Amino acid sequence: MLQLLALSKRFGDVVALDGLSMTVGPGRIHGFVGRNGAGKTTTMRIILGLVAASTGEVRWKDRLATTADRRRFGYMPEERGLYPKMTALDQIVYFARLSGMTAGDAARSAAAILDVIGLGGRRDEPVEHLSLGNQQRCQLAAALVTSPELLVLDEPFSGLDPVGVDALAGVLVDQVGGGTAVVFSSHQLDLVERLSDEVTIIDQGHVVATGTVSAVRASRGADLLTVALEDGSTAWADHLPGTRVVRHDGGETVLELLAGADDQAVLDAARRAGRVRSFRREAPSLTELFREVVSQ
Amino acid sequence: MSGRLAVVRLIAGREVRERIRSKAFRISTGVSLAFVLTVAILPGILAHDGPTTYDVGVFGDGSDALAARLPVVAAAGDRTAVRVHQLTGEDEGRRLVRTGALDAAVGGGAVIVDKKLGDRLAILVQGANRLVVGEAALAGAGVRGDAAGRILSPRPLEVRALHPKTKAETDREGLVFVGTVLLYGQLLGFGYWVASGVVEEKVSRVVEILLAKAAPAQLLAGKVTGIGVVGLVQLVTFVVLGLAAARLSGTIDLPAQTVSVAAQVVGWFVLGFAFYSCLFAMGGALASRVEELQSTTTPLTFLAMASLFAAINTGGDPGGSVAKVATFVPFSAPMVLPIRVAAGEVGLGTVLLSVAIVLAAIAGVMTLAARVYAGGALHLRGQLKLRSALRADVP
Repeated sequence: MLQLLALSKRFGDVVALDGLSMTVGPGRIHGFVGRNGAGKTTTMRIILGLVAASTGEVRWKDRLATTADRRRFGYMPEERGLYPKMTALDQIVYFARLSGMTAGDAARSAAAILDVIGLGGRRDEPVEHLSLGNQQRCQLAAALVTSPELLVLDEPFSGLDPVGVDALAGVLVDQVGGGTAVVFSSHQLDLVERLSDEVTIIDQGHVVATGTVSAVRASRGADLLTVALEDGSTAWADHLPGTRVVRHDGGETVLELLAGADDQAVLDAARRAGRVRSFRREAPSLTELFREVVSQ
Repeated sequence: MSGRLAVVRLIAGREVRERIRSKAFRISTGVSLAFVLTVAILPGILAHDGPTTYDVGVFGDGSDALAARLPVVAAAGDRTAVRVHQLTGEDEGRRLVRTGALDAAVGGGAVIVDKKLGDRLAILVQGANRLVVGEAALAGAGVRGDAAGRILSPRPLEVRALHPKTKAETDREGLVFVGTVLLYGQLLGFGYWVASGVVEEKVSRVVEILLAKAAPAQLLAGKVTGIGVVGLVQLVTFVVLGLAAARLSGTIDLPAQTVSVAAQVVGWFVLGFAFYSCLFAMGGALASRVEELQSTTTPLTFLAMASLFAAINTGGDPGGSVAKVATFVPFSAPMVLPIRVAAGEVGLGTVLLSVAIVLAAIAGVMTLAARVYAGGALHLRGQLKLRSALRADVP
């Protein structure tokens, strides 16, 4: 289990992280969400030991993470990087050996992982000859080759087409099935919501919400009501007691149901205004939560 | 082997493999080898090339006497021969000199040449003229034959050098000079490879993965060692092939100290490379694009060139003050010391002191380079100032 305890990081006068804590358990996928510059990459670099935390601890298996632990973590940095002139296989073998694997194990594991991610047939080509999508797969292979117990992936889905996204998501689910802990950052919030067991939302170096996706959604309290009248009118919802208009979306009105308010009263008000075409109540999606959180 | 050293060895091994495979390495090896072999073989071929033959035309009064004396003077000279052509007059002389058929035309108290009278040709024609005029004057005074010859061509003074330079010494000094130029080329060329290797890993962004697997000092040590080994093997190859070629073509008789000179050049490469490559690595760590290397390594290139000039100066004056100072400056010591040792100017004590100074300097720049590399490795945009790199807090 990975535990980040009260991590803080200052770069000169800039506070990049301010008391960030989160936990990633084995066999769990942890989504890491925040605006650009919120501190996601800094956090991941601290986990890998690339950046020193000003204060706080990175714990792995209930003790301080060591250099040896970190060498075995799988890491995919946001800024992708491979040696352009080395072949895919040589490259993955090299990274595996740097992680401490023997030559034989590294060769076997590299060949196997390239097959898994669908690059087996092109493993002897220099990376610069591969398409960007395939280079990204190669990058993922570099992170997976040691069969790491922890995978840290910074924006792993950016730049992938929908087929690539599905393929990568499939690989992650397989890894987690084998007990790997995964923490990944992404701006594709629907994807985070779909894949993650837990999620942490950070803003300006602070954790604003963390926990299972459903708990985070529930913790933000207010459910949303989406109501549409046949004539498309929306003015009926203004100043309705116990609600707050979140937005008007085409002919639909999205309302936040404040604590203790009755959704049936809202339905009655809508019916007084006209024929109701649709009416649904749901917890806010991660995207809505995120918008709400970062706009505060 | 401990884990730390194993990582350094892995990194060095990759450098060796990738460098040797690269096109840049093959091209640079070919060009350098061509240079070494040319320097080694050419003088030998030229030495066997026989005398230089001049075509000299003669005309006017006394041209017969001149025609008779030119070959005599040529025979007394150093590898000079002459073909004499009898001309009808000055006009023909001008025409043939202009077309290049003649090197010079002599007559009427003048020598006609195309642009200037070269030194050796001057000795030839002026000497022949002096002989002809002198003989005529002596004949007027009644001195002829051997008596005239003894006056006009006295036995040359015998040279008695107090510290005669043997051919072996000249050969050895030539050898050391070529070795120094080669050393300079290897230090600068492979040093620059370290700088560009560092910056290429930043440009390709692979450095972030590397830093997650190994400490900055390990990455640096592996890169310097790997590239240094390639440079060393290449240098030894050049030295061995160059000496073999020189021996076979007869350019030099390998002096007894050949092995010692070669060993010194190679030894100083190891020390010099350890020193220069750390500084070049810093130049790489401060840049974030290959183009920026130009400005981050310029001071270093300048110091290396100044050191080469110091070495050239030392070659001319091995006991001079430039040579004495340069012996104890880490930048120039590797290039200057072999020359001074070959010239017999310095003893073991001075060599050891110089080595100690360079070793201390290496320890200093290694620490500094590891710090700058760690501070600059993840600085991926824009040129970094040395001070900022040193101030960066690193894990």
